[in-house]
Order: sequence, then C-alpha cells, then structure tokens
Amino acid sequence: MIQLKNISKIYGKDGQQVKALDNANISIAKGEFVAIVGASGSGKSTMMNILGMLDRPTSGEYYLENKEISTLTDDELAKIRNKKIGFVFQKFHLLPKTTAIENVELPLIYSDRKDIRKLAVDALAKVGLSNRGKHRTNELSGGQQQRVAIARALVNEPEVILGDEPTGNLDSKSGLEVVGVFQELNRSGKTIILITHSGEVAEHANRIIRIHDGKITEDYKVEKPLDARTELAELKKAIN
Amino acid sequence: MNKIKIIESSFRILRRNKLNTFFMILGIVIGIAALSLTFSLGKSAEKQLTRKVKNLFNPNNILVTSGRVELESGRSSESSMTNLEIEDIEAIMNEVRGITMYDVIQATPERDVIFSNKNIPTAINGGMAEGEMVWRRSVISGEYFSKAEEKSSARVALIGTKIAKKLFEGSNPVGSQIRIGTVPFTVKGVLEERGIDPHGTDLDMNVIVPITTLMNRLMNVNYIAGAKFELEDASMTEEIAGKITSVLRERHSLNNNETNDFSIVTPVVVKEIIGKMNRVFTLFLPLISGIALLVGGVVIVVIMLMSVSRRVSEIGLRKALGARSQEIMFQFLIEAAVVSLFGGIIGLAIGLVGAGVFMSSMGLTFFIPWETILFGVLFPIIIGVLAGIIPARKAAKQDPIEALS
Ligand SMILES: Nc1ncnc2c1ncn2[C@@H]1O[C@H](COP(=O)(O)OP(=O)(O)OP(=O)(O)O)[C@@H](O)[C@H]1O
Ligand SMILES: [Mg+2]
Repeated sequence: MIQLKNISKIYGKDGQQVKALDNANISIAKGEFVAIVGASGSGKSTMMNILGMLDRPTSGEYYLENKEISTLTDDELAKIRNKKIGFVFQKFHLLPKTTAIENVELPLIYSDRKDIRKLAVDALAKVGLSNRGKHRTNELSGGQQQRVAIARALVNEPEVILGDEPTGNLDSKSGLEVVGVFQELNRSGKTIILITHSGEVAEHANRIIRIHDGKITEDYKVEKPLDARTELAELKKAIN
Repeated sequence: MNKIKIIESSFRILRRNKLNTFFMILGIVIGIAALSLTFSLGKSAEKQLTRKVKNLFNPNNILVTSGRVELESGRSSESSMTNLEIEDIEAIMNEVRGITMYDVIQATPERDVIFSNKNIPTAINGGMAEGEMVWRRSVISGEYFSKAEEKSSARVALIGTKIAKKLFEGSNPVGSQIRIGTVPFTVKGVLEERGIDPHGTDLDMNVIVPITTLMNRLMNVNYIAGAKFELEDASMTEEIAGKITSVLRERHSLNNNETNDFSIVTPVVVKEIIGKMNRVFTLFLPLISGIALLVGGVVIVVIMLMSVSRRVSEIGLRKALGARSQEIMFQFLIEAAVVSLFGGIIGLAIGLVGAGVFMSSMGLTFFIPWETILFGVLFPIIIGVLAGIIPARKAAKQDPIEALS
C-alpha cells in the first residue's frame, strides 16, 4: 500500500540544519494497524506529514500503491489525500461555530460524491454520535469532538486513516474510546497509522515502529494487541 | 467540487462573522446608493427636460434672439439688446429660402392688467397674427387678432385662462374693456390652456397683444427681443441658420473680428445645452459615486485579507482534506461576491427610494433608468470579485502544514 524508501527531511538552512527524518524506510501493507512511537522531537509529526502527503521529503521516494508521487502537483496530491487518506489531528481541527454534521461533510465538498448529507450522517453513526449532528462543535466534549474528527476522516471511505496523537488531548477513558474506534475501523479493513508517544496506546496496534532522532530504530509485530473494548468494559466494572 | 456546498458554507461564514460582513456590505451600500441615486436623478431630469424642450421647440424651428446670449449662464450682453428690428426679420424672410412662417417676440416687464376693481400684474407679450400658427396656440373663445389689427396697432388683447378667471370670475371676457397700465384694450379672445413652461413661467397668465401695439403704445421702443422661424424641412436647419447669420451680420455691419450681436438657437444647440447640463448628473456625479464604490471595494480587500489571516487554520484544514487551490479561491471569491451583491441590492434600494423622494420634491416624474438596475447588480459583483482576488490568492497559497501546526 505505502512504501517509503530512504526518506529524509531536513529543516532549516545551511549551518542550522535539523534532520527531522534520516533515511527512513517503511513499508505498510493494506489492512495493517501501525503505531509510530518516539520521544518528543523525534520526528513523528514530520513522518505523519510526509505519509499524509501534506509535505514533501527532502530526498527519498514515496510509493502509493506502487506509484511514485514526488512528481505530482500540489493539487493532484490534494485530490489523492481527499480520496485515500483520512486525517485525525491532536487538536481536532474542527471548524468553529459549525455543526458536527457540517464538519463531517467537509471532505465530501471537495470530492465528486453525491448525497453528501446522507454519507455524513452515516459516518457520525459509526462513531456513535448520531444524536449530536446538529450540535455545534464547541458544545461537544473533547472525546466527542475527536470522534467527530474521526467521522470526518472516514466519511469519504479512504483506505488509510492517519492519526497524529489523536489521544494526546483526551483523558484516558475518552482516549480509550477513540483507540477503540480505530481498532474497529481496522477490523473492517482500513489501514490505520497511529502516531503517539504513549507506549500504552501503541500496544493496541498490530505493529510498532519506533523513531529516534529521525531514524527508525525498531519495527516489530505486536503479538497480543490490547483490546480497547474489553478495557473499557473493565473500566466500567471498576467504577460501579 | 461541490459548488453549492461551498456557496452554502460561504453564507454560513458570513453570517457568523457579522461585524466583518456588515462593514464589507456597508462600503458597497454607500457606493451603489450614491451611484444609483445620482444616475437615476440625472436621467430623469434629462428625460423631463428633453420632453419639455421638444414640446416647446420643434426640430424644424429656429430661434433668433437679440444680444449675444451666453447660453450656459443665460446672461446676455446689455449693449447689443436693442439692435434687432422687425426690418431685420423681414430682410431674413426676403433673402433666405425655406422658411414657412415666423413670429416676432417682445415683452414688457410686469404691468398691471385691470378690470373694474381687480388688478393683476403680469408680463405683456407682443406677437404677430401668425403667432396663432407659429406657437400652435389658438383661442378657446373669441378670436385671434387679425393681420389688419396687427398692422394698425389696434388696442386688442388675448388673455390666458387664469387671467380670465381672476378678472372676470366666470363671465365671458370677450368684448370687455380692460386696461393695461393706463392704456384701454378690448379683450379679443381667451388663449388655450398651456400650463407652466420649463422656465417656470405660467403660460396661462399670458397676455398677448399685437407686436406693433406693444412697441408703440406700451413700450415705446423700435426693437424686438427675437423671432421664431418655422422651416419647411428640419434637415435644412444648419444651412438656414448660417444664412440668417450672414444676413444679420451684414445688416448690423459687423466686421470679421466682431462677434455676433444676436444669437441663433437651433435644435442642435438646444441639445448641446441639455447635454452639458446633464453631463453633471449622468457623468460627473456618478463618477464621484463610482469612487465611493471603489473605496467600498478597498474595504472588502482589507477586511478579507484580515479574515484570511484569521482563518489560516481553516484554510489549512480544507487543503489537508483535499481542497485544491482553485477551490479555496472559489470560496473566497464567492464570499466577496455575495457580500457585494447583497450590498449592491441594499444600496440600489436605498438609492432608488432616495431618487424617488428627490424626484417628487423636484417635480420630476418618477423614473428608474434600466441601467441603474444593471449597475446595481453587475458593478458590485465585479467589484466584489476583483476585491476578492488578492485575499483569495493569498488563501490559496497557504501551506497546509503551517496552518495546521
Ligand atoms: N517547520 C520546521 N522548521 C524547522 N524545524 C522543524 C520544523 N518542524 C519540525 N522541526 C524539527 O524537526 C524535529 C522533529 O519534529 P517533529 O515535529 O516531527 O517531532 P515530533 O516527534 O512530532 O515531536 P512531538 O512529540 O513534540 O510532537 C524537531 O527537532 C523539530 O524541532
Ligand atoms: Mg508532533
């Protein structure tokens, strides 16, 4: 699905250069759930921007479904993002003073899909927010806002969902709920790439890639991933 | 791209940023209101004036007046007011072909017109028996004075309907004796009703007496104020005006370096005067309003640039989710166009209501030129789109990661 070959990203001019990514090689197959972990400043967000085609690497090759993308124009990349990638950001990035349903519709506005409203309603239902569609985003809790963002990420049925610290601004329960939604999406066949600095969140993935100073230091399968659903059930039991 | 959804979201954003939207609309409202007000007022005044002049002045008429009249100011040089004589006009009739009829013009300042114990001050006009045809104004009772009466300086008078009503209060004035100043006159007829002319003179207050009577018995002068000629063929106007000029110059012994001591008014000249007067309204004032509109456009540019900087994260998000540059541009252009179209419609409404108020207070008939509607809708859209281009380009160039971090 996605192949990065010798990807480097260098910020700054001569003298004060920062190598945010250093010859990174990653290959992600369709249907995987990958967690990318690393300390602050290790290059996780840089990786996310490049994986999400929001930014171009300084050097290296990016293959999406065996097609190199570096020659494509910004507008062509925008179209690919719209069709193939769903984004979930740490700070949600929902439009202010706008209803949940309108936020979810946003990617569809730039697609050639019909029945926009219906697709948005369905997506909100998938994240368990059917009854919140008409609410403005500032009337929702953090966890609910992030679920609206997930609905927005999956509304155009992308193959890949990219999350950059999607649980970073949430309490542990809301975080678990969000991770649970990701796991469910993965079970339904979506490729998930989750960037996090939390080792515990990463344990829910099938595979963990560790970055340190822009280099990939570890890349391994998780034998027994945690299941957010059972954890949530236990959490409920403990409270009662 | 789903244009309808983008337009919808533009409306939503405008609704939710009321203060910005208000100021952007305000600029356009002022510009368009001023533009449509001045333009429709100008057009209405032009139409009114043209119609009145047409009534008064047929395309096959030429007017000769004594004195060099500065047509724009209406002033005339005093010295040359006394040298146009009936003989001049008769010479023109002898020497210039193509004139079917004419009447001479002279008038007194206000004189008292008296019947029994009633007294009305009004100007007294002198004319020839042909005046009935030349001015296309006959009598509703009695008769017009005859050529013989004109030649013999008969003391006969034609009076307007208002004079008749005021002096005779319903009884038939024809045959009655009135006095003009101290001179006794017989009322020969009552003139057809004509209302008020473009100069504001009430034509139904007219008193007309034979020209010779006026000159010899009321004014004691040997000159006239002017004459009106009617031509066989309107297309000959310029040629005949030229011939009249040379006859008069010769009779008044003017050298080549001397200017005319008379004026010739042809339909072309009248049109020029009207055109000059109306340029103030239909060109100059709308130009100033156009500047107001441009300022409105600049206001939109400034406010939208601010709005783009405030909305970097929205723009970045839209790009991340798949908006192309052109789609971002479209959104901002639509916002600008919607704002100014809205401002245009409000401005148009205000301007036209204002124009209506002005028109009725100025005694003009209410009239909206179709161009005003077109300007009111088209100009704002053009201004809006032009004003939106700079901010929209800035927005479209936004880098999505910078905006999202
Ligand atoms: N736009 C930029 N210009 C210059 N340097 C940058 C830029 N963005 C990131 N960097 C640098 O690149 C390195 C990697 O940054 P990155 O944001 O990818 O880290 P991160 O792993 O996401 O950290 P965090 O966990 O704090 O979000 C850092 O040293 C950072 O200072
Ligand atoms: Mg980061």
